[in-house]
Amino acid sequence: MKTIRGIKLGGLQQKIFNLMLIFIVALVGVFVAVSIYQQNNLTAIVEEADAEQQKAITEVSEETMEAVLEAAMTRSTAFQAYIADDLFGDVRSDVLTLQTFAAELFEHADSVSPHPFYPPDKANDGIPSAQVQHETGVDPNRSEALALIANMSEIMVSMFKNSDKLSSCFVATTDGNILFADDRAGAYFDENGEVYDFNVRSRPWYKQAVEAGELIFTGVELDSFTDIPGLVCAAPVYRDGELVAVVGADIFLTSIDDYVARTATEGGFICVVSEKGQVLFSPNADGLLRAGLSADAPDIRQSENAELARFVSEALRGSTGLEAIVVDGKEYYLTGAPLETVGWAVISAVDKETTHRPTAAMLENYDDINAASARSYQEGAKHSMQTFIVMTVLLILLALLGALFVAQRIVKPIEHMTRRINALGGSDSVFEMEKIYRTDDEIEILAESFASLSQKTQDYIKEITEITAEKERIGTELALATRIQADMLPNIFPAFPERPEFDIYASMDPAKEVGGDFYDFFLLDETHLGIVIADVSGKGIPAALFMMISKILVQNYAMTGRSPAEVLRAVNNQICSNNREEMFVTVWLGILDTVTGKITAANAGHEYPAVMQNGGRFELVKDKHGLVIGGMEGMSYKEYELTLTPGSKLFIYTDGVPEAVNAANEMFGKERMLAALNSEPQAAPEEVLRRVREAVDAFVKDAEQFDDLTMLCLEFKGGDAGEK
Amino acid sequence: MLNIAKKVNKAELTVTLGGRLDTTTSPELEKVLKESLDGVTALVIDMTALEYISSAGLRVLLSAQKIMNKQGEMKVSHVNETVMEIFEVTGFSDILTIE
Repeated sequence: MKTIRGIKLGGLQQKIFNLMLIFIVALVGVFVAVSIYQQNNLTAIVEEADAEQQKAITEVSEETMEAVLEAAMTRSTAFQAYIADDLFGDVRSDVLTLQTFAAELFEHADSVSPHPFYPPDKANDGIPSAQVQHETGVDPNRSEALALIANMSEIMVSMFKNSDKLSSCFVATTDGNILFADDRAGAYFDENGEVYDFNVRSRPWYKQAVEAGELIFTGVELDSFTDIPGLVCAAPVYRDGELVAVVGADIFLTSIDDYVARTATEGGFICVVSEKGQVLFSPNADGLLRAGLSADAPDIRQSENAELARFVSEALRGSTGLEAIVVDGKEYYLTGAPLETVGWAVISAVDKETTHRPTAAMLENYDDINAASARSYQEGAKHSMQTFIVMTVLLILLALLGALFVAQRIVKPIEHMTRRINALGGSDSVFEMEKIYRTDDEIEILAESFASLSQKTQDYIKEITEITAEKERIGTELALATRIQADMLPNIFPAFPERPEFDIYASMDPAKEVGGDFYDFFLLDETHLGIVIADVSGKGIPAALFMMISKILVQNYAMTGRSPAEVLRAVNNQICSNNREEMFVTVWLGILDTVTGKITAANAGHEYPAVMQNGGRFELVKDKHGLVIGGMEGMSYKEYELTLTPGSKLFIYTDGVPEAVNAANEMFGKERMLAALNSEPQAAPEEVLRRVREAVDAFVKDAEQFDDLTMLCLEFKGGDAGEK
Repeated sequence: MLNIAKKVNKAELTVTLGGRLDTTTSPELEKVLKESLDGVTALVIDMTALEYISSAGLRVLLSAQKIMNKQGEMKVSHVNETVMEIFEVTGFSDILTIE
């Protein structure tokens, strides 16, 4: 594993780190997704709410505006109508006063003296004064009626003075004279300085008053002198049912005209409609509601604009509510109120657009506020997004640090553990629990397992050490046993240097440390040599023990002077008497007469001996066999004799020689053994044994020596040799 | 390598051996015989396929012979030349009934 800044790439720490990283990225991803979704949602909600609010504002505002407008306009129109009507009412009352006065005068004509009267005097121009005019051809000075009504001169001048509405007041007699009270004496003169004639009885007001027989208002017409729009209120005066005079007053409608003109404010105006449906006063120069003072001005009630026509008709009859009507393609709020005195109507109009301005303004304002709040929201959102990003980065950093820390915590004990385990050297050191492993998790369990394993291992090592020591002890003892065994056998050669008549050589190579084979030779007396070769069944210590007993028994019995067969029979009985292990031993026992070379021998189940008579070759001697020693009690053994001529040799061996096995599991066999013996028949015993041994080794090669390999060779040199 | 085949016919037990009866394998035969000899009056050890017998094997045969001497008879059959020679050398041919 590569290591960068203390972090092992691909190690646990990095894996935990990666895991945390994935987790955090996923978490942040979800968080971001949710945030974006919420923000979009919020924006949608805000937009929707915005639209709804705008709609609500528009509706509420319009409703409120309409309600306010209706109340205000209706009241205002009624008030204006009232004020306008007041004007006509004042005139009316003035005219009625004049009528009453005139009637009184004519009633009491007999008791009233004539009053002087005067024609218009230019000097009086601008001064309120009374002056007379007359029809063409009428002489005022002849009129009694004029002299009578001249008594009203002061009253009329006073009336004129006291009224700011009257342009003049007058009394006309039925004989064509008229008495004026006004302040425009100058206007009665033409360019020649002559006073105009005044066709009293042909004036519309005169005719209308006479015709009606009561107080009338004329239509608006331009003043005959001044061209100022005005109207006349007139009333007939009767005496005893006979018309005697017509009184009247002239009012200039300048004030109304001015007032109406002034109403032409932005988006609204007031107009006055006559009883004939004609627009008398209006600030409009064109359109349906333009002023038209001529008699043939259109009647609005007959207009193609049915709504407007109906509204005007209603307004002439009585006060209307607020109505929205389209006039000349523009929608207006209209209210109407009648001028009852004259039978006209005042109509107020307000451009609906104007009324909507506050709403629009409010909406605009609202939009501004909205936009501002949207901006601040966006700024806030942007800010919070920045905060969010910073927080996220911080969170990731913190989490990564945390992951590193946690990973470090996890990895540290493991690394520590690894170091400790690697440091475990000799069998003395044990892995021990330390505080760093107390993590309350798998690491602790792992450490405990290690500690336990380490302890067990140490115990095991101890045990093994003990066992090994024990084994070594046994091995030592076995080696000792082997030596004892070897020492038991005569192993100093030449064995009988003082006996030249024979030469003897033997060897034993046990397969395991101690074997069951043995050879033995001992002098029974001066001329007799006992020779033994034996093979105990089985191997190892038991075989070695059994061999010891056998060897000692055979030698002991032989030393008693018994013949070989006797010795074997006695040994067999001795061994069989206590042989629960059912071990047995093959024994060949021969006794050589060192003088004659005669060997008396007995064979208890042992291999055939090989004999080489002087000058000849080694051959097996198929001797008489008895059963192995230890096999069955009471066995007897046959005895036979061999006579060695001087120079002859006897070779005896255990089955380890012919039965030595090579790697191919082939046995060495007696043929090869004889061949080895005969490769140099004349060799000395030691050399014979060496040759056989070499042949066996060459045959067996690397295969494990399976059986003990024990050989003995005796060369009889004869009495002559001894004597020499 | 030793093959042991057992055949029981009433009180007659036939044990057929194959391979080598040596130090390593003879405990197997010893175990088989130990388990099987109860009530057997006639034991036949067939050595048709037996190639070799060591002293350890001889010991097992001797034990069996001793047991059978008490409860019946024991025969060894089909002994090949090598094994026969061993029997003769060791004198076992004197105590075994070889057919």
